[in-house]
Amino acid sequence: MKKRSFSRIISQNRIIVMILLLLAELVVFSLLSTPNRSVAEVFSGESIFIKPKNLRNIINALPLSVFLTTGVALLMISGRLDLSTGANGTLCSMLTAFFLREGVPLIPTLLIVMVVGAFIGFINAALVNELRVAPFIGTLATSSLATGFTYLIANKKTIDLTNPILKAYGKEVVLGFFPVSALVAIIIMIIAGIVLHKTHLGRKIYLVGGNPQASMLSGINPRKVSYMLFTLCGLFSAFAGITFVARQQSANMQGISAARFQGITAAVLGGISFGGGSGGMAGAFVGLLILNTFSNGLTVIGFSPFLQNIAQGLLLIFALTLDYFQKEQSQKILK
Amino acid sequence: MSKYLEFSGISKAFPGVQALDNISFRAESGRVLALLGENGAGKSTLLKILSGDISPDSGSIIINGKTQVFTSPHQAIQAGVSVIYQERQIVPALSVIENIFCGDLPKTRFGMIDKRTLRRKTEEILKVFGLPIDPDEPVGRLPVAYQQMVEVMKAYRRNSDIICFDEPTAPLTDSEINVLFDIINQLKKEGKIIIYVSHRLAEIFKVTDDIVVLKDGKLVKTFKTSETNQQELIRAMVGRDVGDTYKNLKRNDKIGDVLLEVKDLCTDVLDHVSFTLRRGEVLGLAGLVGAGRTEVARAIFGADRITSGEIIFDGKKVHFKEPKDAIKAGIALCPEDRKDQGLVLFRSIRENTTMPILKKISKWIFINRQEERKVTEEAVTKFTIRTPSINKLVRELSGGNQQKVILGRWTNSLIQTKLLILDEPTKGIDVGTKAEIYQMVCDFARAGLSVIFISSELPEVINVADRIIVMHNGKITGSVLREDATEENVLSLAMLE
Repeated sequence: MKKRSFSRIISQNRIIVMILLLLAELVVFSLLSTPNRSVAEVFSGESIFIKPKNLRNIINALPLSVFLTTGVALLMISGRLDLSTGANGTLCSMLTAFFLREGVPLIPTLLIVMVVGAFIGFINAALVNELRVAPFIGTLATSSLATGFTYLIANKKTIDLTNPILKAYGKEVVLGFFPVSALVAIIIMIIAGIVLHKTHLGRKIYLVGGNPQASMLSGINPRKVSYMLFTLCGLFSAFAGITFVARQQSANMQGISAARFQGITAAVLGGISFGGGSGGMAGAFVGLLILNTFSNGLTVIGFSPFLQNIAQGLLLIFALTLDYFQKEQSQKILK
Repeated sequence: MSKYLEFSGISKAFPGVQALDNISFRAESGRVLALLGENGAGKSTLLKILSGDISPDSGSIIINGKTQVFTSPHQAIQAGVSVIYQERQIVPALSVIENIFCGDLPKTRFGMIDKRTLRRKTEEILKVFGLPIDPDEPVGRLPVAYQQMVEVMKAYRRNSDIICFDEPTAPLTDSEINVLFDIINQLKKEGKIIIYVSHRLAEIFKVTDDIVVLKDGKLVKTFKTSETNQQELIRAMVGRDVGDTYKNLKRNDKIGDVLLEVKDLCTDVLDHVSFTLRRGEVLGLAGLVGAGRTEVARAIFGADRITSGEIIFDGKKVHFKEPKDAIKAGIALCPEDRKDQGLVLFRSIRENTTMPILKKISKWIFINRQEERKVTEEAVTKFTIRTPSINKLVRELSGGNQQKVILGRWTNSLIQTKLLILDEPTKGIDVGTKAEIYQMVCDFARAGLSVIFISSELPEVINVADRIIVMHNGKITGSVLREDATEENVLSLAMLE
């Protein structure tokens, strides 16, 4: 009995639970980053974590994770998955720097890179829809392809970014602290959220994620939705890559490939379950804030990168546990 | 002392409903007890309590004088309770032997599986059941009826004293049902306590000894099967008389010109299927499971690939590449499997209703919520869908109400349906709602729609349809008018070799 009501509370107030978790993170990291771990020190401004300089670090990490999460969140609601976003974005960042160095003008460069990103997404869609490969495997394969091309182009070197406009996009801030790129990313995420929640296209994403068969028999084409979302996810990876190179002012082989699971973790933390059909964009945003705050907080209190990996794995397991409770609860509703 | 199973004051509440309210009755060994009731009456909940799936809020289960509290299915099995559910719980890739002994494989001294003992024991069981099954066959390759038998054998192997069947005949053909009944009689002779849940009254009279009727979670009445009749049972189940359902149907008497003409339609399953359908006509498709009725529906609807033949719809030769095209032309399909193919269970009534008309209720790309609410409320009112809100998830509705949501999806003021294909629309639906659905079918016809009515229940298909086409093995074997149709002549066409 007790366990069931607990899972009901969690499943019905998932977003509130997540916001509480975010607040808890803020409190804990504020405390832990003071010299003597006392509340008084937090209020006297001795907490490193809530110093403006550090909060800016968290904001600076936003543009990338927003782009990576938005596409993956849409895909996951439709019941699919993309593991190639990190590798795709890395290739796109490399291509951007490469074409600009070779003297291609900015606009054509951006267009080509966006087409490449979207095309990788399209290949993912083709693998999943035509060859019926599980998204997990199919997108891992394209991920490997993208990484290979990145290495070929980079040839073990870093390519510096030369284009002043793109540099400005990476560096400029509004209101004295908020990066332009983060603003762009958040605007795109909001648009994606509006499309998801207010338009018939967004509705189709939920319906296809909930039951592709029934959707097909009701005049919705799940293949079309799948192609569109994979391609869109690829395009968003390209945005992430372009943003990355603009902010770093150079492209390297590692790029954002480490961010492979970032979008998925954020989405699951934000209440989008594997299997599709539920969750929303606001949740995904809260999810990525939790994730970003977590890695930043761990760095601030001096966790080594190795320990951080472990901690992030635990965070994902935590998110999956919440997901489990939610599913369990929905099972219980059935008589 | 003979064995018995007693439910004593069992109550169970789910959020919003009292699923079971102080249920007490007793089942004796060597007798088959039927649990009868409409959907939502509480039969499944009671079975789940017996099988340890869920625990009751109050009350207890007493087996042979011993009060039992099951907190897990495992404990129930230990206490000798086996429940055979509608959804078979077999492992398709494993052999008959392995499935029967699943979870309890005999081991040799070295901890390896004792294949010899396994085989001997399996053959013993097969002999008791008298079934021509190869013990090494993967269960997935057996006919559905035998898959179910494997489950029964599993229960038998566990030496369960109490065996419960939850709607066992739903997927079975008539001859397979007879095999099942033989087995049930066999188990009965061995002194097992058997609980049998079914919607089909005819079966209940064939195989059971006692009947417990539930309604809205309460026990209405207990009957001796030999001392009651269908009318009395139905009255107890629905609280009213539905005896003359068919006679009282208000039918359409103005049948129009030809709407659909199917000529020599072939698919992987269908073999030169030809028929016509007029406006305002209800055409029944009868046949045994696997005869190709569903495939006819899917081929017309553009869901299956057509290899040859042609379809003329509304005066035009059509070739639908996907259901979307068929829907645009005015065809609607309520698929056989509501939960797998009909509904998006985790979304609301509203979202399920407007699936095919999303563009029509949108301004540019934005869904007009007011418009959507209007259409949905129209459907809820028209079909008397019992729900507190149009935002309720469809999975929380009863089977009948779920079916009505699908009907509302296809017949509202924003969709131009000319042909409505209903594939087993009353499957798993209680008697009262069934009667409602029959009248709806006639109302559709009266409104000028053509209806293809597919059903495995002979009485319903021969009484609701104006004309009945009978299929066997992908071919049409005959066509009968309602006036001339009897269960016998339709069945003989359906079994024609």
